[in-house]
Amino acid sequence: MTAAPDAGVSARVSESLLRTLGGADYVDPAVFAAECERIFEAGWFCAVHASDLPEPGSFRTVQVGRESILLTRSRRGELRGFFNVCRHRGAQICTEPSGQARRSFQCPYHAWTYDFDGRLVAAPNLTSMPDVGREEYGLRRVHVREWLGYVWVCLAEEPASFETTVEQEILDRLGAMSNLEAYDVASLQVGRRITYDVAANWKLIVENFMECYHCATIHPELTEVLPEFADGLAAQFFVNHGASFGEGIEGFTVDGRVGLERLPGLTSDRDRKYYAITIKPQVFVNLVPDHVIFHRMFPMGPDRTVVECDWLYLPEVVASGADLSASVELFDRVNRQDFEACERCQPAMSSRAYADGGVLVPSEHHIALFHDWVASHVR
Amino acid sequence: MIRICSTDDVVPGEGLRITSTVPPIAVFRTEDDEFFALDDTCTHQDASLADGWLEGCRVECPLHASTFDLRTGAVDEPPARLPVRAHEVEVRDGEVFVTLSTAVPHLPPGVTLGAS
Ligand code: FES
Ligand code: FES
Ligand SMILES: [Fe+2]
Repeated sequence: MTAAPDAGVSARVSESLLRTLGGADYVDPAVFAAECERIFEAGWFCAVHASDLPEPGSFRTVQVGRESILLTRSRRGELRGFFNVCRHRGAQICTEPSGQARRSFQCPYHAWTYDFDGRLVAAPNLTSMPDVGREEYGLRRVHVREWLGYVWVCLAEEPASFETTVEQEILDRLGAMSNLEAYDVASLQVGRRITYDVAANWKLIVENFMECYHCATIHPELTEVLPEFADGLAAQFFVNHGASFGEGIEGFTVDGRVGLERLPGLTSDRDRKYYAITIKPQVFVNLVPDHVIFHRMFPMGPDRTVVECDWLYLPEVVASGADLSASVELFDRVNRQDFEACERCQPAMSSRAYADGGVLVPSEHHIALFHDWVASHVR
Repeated sequence: MIRICSTDDVVPGEGLRITSTVPPIAVFRTEDDEFFALDDTCTHQDASLADGWLEGCRVECPLHASTFDLRTGAVDEPPARLPVRAHEVEVRDGEVFVTLSTAVPHLPPGVTLGAS
C-alpha cells in the first residue's frame, strides 16, 4: 500500500480526510501555463504510436504543452521531432493533424522548404544569401525516442532522464520491469483508436484514473467484470496488484464473454487479472490478458484535454479481422463514464464553494502523492 | 570544354551547384551513374535545381515542383514556363567536363547574369 503524506500541499483535514488542490489550480491560466512550462515541455511526453508514422515523410502534429510539435521519419526511416514553427517568420509548417509529405515540408507562407531531417533545403533567393546556414536555419529539433511502440518526445534542451521518470513509474506500480515486459507492448498493434475531447482539466482526469471510489457508482459494466472494485480500492492503490476477474467472467469484455487470443508472454497468475498504471503526467495503461489499453492525454488548456486511447492486440489478431467490439466497448464505456464525471467537476472548479478544494477519503489518499508531485514541479 | 568537378564530388541521385560558371550550373548524377548539366536556377523564381529532387531523367524544382528534363532542359508544367539550358557533359578519368550552351539563358525575374 502507498503511504500518503501528512504534510505538503495535501494537508490532513481530519483522521480520514486529506485536502485536495484548490479550485483555482484547475482553471487559472497562469497555473496551466506553469504546468506546461515545468511539466509537459520539460519532461518526456508520449506523443504518437510508431505506426502513426509508417514511412519517410509521414507526419503527425501534436500539442505538447503550449507547443505544436511535428513528428515524422527521415528518408532513412528514423524518427524525427521538430517545433512546428518556420524559421523565417514563424508560420506553422503543418496545419493538418496528420498526413504524408511528398518531398519535403514547405512553409505555406514564403516557401521555405525543409527536408525530413529538418534541414533548410530550399527557399526563394536562398542561393544569393550564402550566409543563411541550412542547418542553422533548419527546423528546431526536439528529443525523440521510441518505447512500448510509442514515440516519446522531450522539449527540454537537455532531455530529462527517461529511466528515473517514465521507467520509474512502471517500477513504482508494478514492482519490476519484467511484470510489464511479459506483455511485450511494443509488439502489439493498434486494433482500435478512439479520441475523446474532454472539457476538463488534465488533473481531474489523472485523479479520476487513479482512484476507484467511483467505480461501483459510475462503472456498472467494469464492476461486473472486476467485482473487487466495489470496495473502492483501485488497482493503483497497491504495488503490482492485479484486480481479479469475477466468477464466470471469461474475458475483459463488455459482457464478460470470452476475449481474444491471450498474449503469449503471460504467466498463468496474470491470466485473469487487470493491472493499471499511470505514467505521469499524461499516460494511462491498462493491462489485461488479451490486450493493452493505452491512453495519451493532450492538455489543450485549463479546461480542455484531448485523450487518444488505443486498444492494442497481437498483430495476428488485428490481421485476422477478428471482432474487437466487445473488448473495445468495455473500456470505451468506462472512458465515457469517467470523462463525463470529470466534465461534471470542471464547472465547479471556479465556484466560490470550491475555492479551498475538496477532500480525499482514505481510498483516494494516494492522489495526494500526485498533488505533491505537481506542486513540486510548479511551485 | 571546361573541367567542372570530379565525379566523386556528386552524390548519386543528387545534384551539385557550380558557381564557377556564369550563370551557375547544376551537375546531376543519376542513380544509374549518368551525368547531366543544366542551368542551376529555376526559370520561375530564384531556386537552385541542384537542391531539387532527382527522379529518372527529370529534376523537380524544390520550391514549386515544376520538373525539367535532364537531357534537354524542357519543363513539364507550370509554374515554371520556360526551359533551362542543357549543357553537353563528358566524363573522362573521373572528371566531369562541360561544354556550355551558347543559347541565351532564361533566368527568373530579378536574377541577372553574374549574380552568384
Ligand atoms: S514564414 Fe515560413 S517561409 Fe516565411
Ligand atoms: S521556383 Fe521553380 S517552380 Fe517555382
Ligand atoms: Fe473510472
